[in-house]
Amino acid sequence: MEMLLPTLISALLMGMLFALVALGLAIIFGVMNIVNFAHGEFLMVGMYTAFLTATIFSIEPLLTLPIAAMVGFLLGIASYYMLVRYLLKGPMLAQLLGTFGLMIFLRYLAMCIFGPDYKTLEHGLLIGKSIKWGPVVLSYPRLGTAVLSLIAFGIIYWLMDYTRLGKALKATALDVEAAGYMGIDTEKMRGLAWGLGGATVGIAGALLTNFYYVFPTIGILFCMIAFATVALGGFGSIKGAFIAGLIMGLIIDLGGTYLGPQYKFALIYLTFFLVVVFRPKGLFGW
Amino acid sequence: MRTLKDALSFGDLPVYERIGFILFIIFCLIFPWILKGGFAQAVMIQFLIFCLYGLGWNLIGGYGGQVALGQAKNVGMSAYTVALLMVRWDIPFWVSTPLGVVVATVESFVLGYFLFRLRGHYFAIATIAVSLVWQQLFINWDFIGGARGLELPLKETPNFLYMQFDSPIYYHYFAFLLVMAAILYMNWCRKSKLGYQLRAITSSEDLAESLGINAHWVKVKAYCITGVFAGMGGAFYTMYYNYIDPFSVMHLELSIMIALMTMIGGAGSMWGPIIGAMILIPLDRYLGAWLGGRGIIGVDFMIYSMMVMVISAYEPKGIWGIVEKARGKR
Repeated sequence: MEMLLPTLISALLMGMLFALVALGLAIIFGVMNIVNFAHGEFLMVGMYTAFLTATIFSIEPLLTLPIAAMVGFLLGIASYYMLVRYLLKGPMLAQLLGTFGLMIFLRYLAMCIFGPDYKTLEHGLLIGKSIKWGPVVLSYPRLGTAVLSLIAFGIIYWLMDYTRLGKALKATALDVEAAGYMGIDTEKMRGLAWGLGGATVGIAGALLTNFYYVFPTIGILFCMIAFATVALGGFGSIKGAFIAGLIMGLIIDLGGTYLGPQYKFALIYLTFFLVVVFRPKGLFGW
Repeated sequence: MRTLKDALSFGDLPVYERIGFILFIIFCLIFPWILKGGFAQAVMIQFLIFCLYGLGWNLIGGYGGQVALGQAKNVGMSAYTVALLMVRWDIPFWVSTPLGVVVATVESFVLGYFLFRLRGHYFAIATIAVSLVWQQLFINWDFIGGARGLELPLKETPNFLYMQFDSPIYYHYFAFLLVMAAILYMNWCRKSKLGYQLRAITSSEDLAESLGINAHWVKVKAYCITGVFAGMGGAFYTMYYNYIDPFSVMHLELSIMIALMTMIGGAGSMWGPIIGAMILIPLDRYLGAWLGGRGIIGVDFMIYSMMVMVISAYEPKGIWGIVEKARGKR
């Protein structure tokens, strides 16, 4: 039982990162009803960006956040204008498998350039430090990641709910044609949704680099976690993504602690399956 | 009688398709006598196995328009049944294969029954979730070998009962027979009530239902048939390689590969899966081996993912769509 409190806290901290990873997917799905299978690979790109800039220029990993966000943003925009725009015209099979193609492409591009090795950052403000507080050991990277995730989440939430841009995005999500009649450039909004999705997951990747291995095939794991999170929270719901992210963190860490670490990912998939089958709308779907 | 006639008659197809089909048959028949290299024959058998997977998937994914990304679990279910029966109780191939196919089909039925309550993206990702659950379970389940997989004991002499031969030619012809049976079945199916119902559902599910088609039931039926094809493929795979592990028969990548292959060839057309397999399998094996030998990894995957992206963006009907366009049929 003495394991419970530390596990809970670490799970919630991790959950905030999961929420940030899922956020991009939720934005993209919400605005144009397309599932981005390459989402995990966007995360991988963010991780490599952070890793490379931090090691090559030997700067503090946290300072790479804006760079990773920028790269993610550009990647998202490029994917939209070069691929997704055309996919949307085709049948659903083409939409699904098109982003699958993107996923495989990015993954093996990384494999080809960086090789299959696992890499970690060794120096940084947060890396390898922790504070002890009673029975609870808080690792700095996780704590910092959670705080920064929370901030990023807050910014996106503010952007979506309190700015004209957010209103235009939401209008595009609700009804593309009507939004077009109101003078919103819907094509630009959709591109922007991909850009935002890419930027948030890029930030998540840069944060994750502080305490996780970087390797080319990391994408699928986080992609599935993000899918499960988004499904649980409700496709397209930002608030849902946050709460579901915390729940996912709990499921993974508690499951890993009490059932054995080999089953924790099976648990996510199972949750995902049950949610999709029995409550396809998720907790906060619309 | 009518069924048999429908299955065997290709009369309604244009001449060039019939010629192409005959060339395909001749090619498959004489292949082992022309190219005697072990690698070429292995690639050919792999190609035939993937034809079988693809033809089955095409029924639900192409004709039915349901993006089911869990073909690997049907393959795996059957492959594991066959392998387990052989390893634990020494049951011959001809007895265990029907059992394996039944297991795969029943699993498809149960899953399909629940999953087809969902539509579109939800269905697609639910099938992925299921495949991943199975994949994780099979990797961690020690009774069936876990991540190490199962190795089938070899008999001392070639044994027909256990489908163990000393030359790949036997496997080649057996796989070819399976593929031919699958092609004939699909030829029947596209003219059958089920085929028409599936195509109606693809173009508009609501409209199909308003015409009195029980869309749910039709999709479940098609999914089960897909399971049968995958089951046959899985059983054959086990016997051919004598070794299976969760990464080769249960993995999500296999499901994706099958779907991408069919998509590249042309989903929803008779020859699409075969064309797709014809392009992807040699590309994958030869290019993979050639580049892998030079220490370059991933380029083969990059090439075919580019093909997938281009095709899904510009010609969702795949290569077969391009062929038909060129002939001005559409």
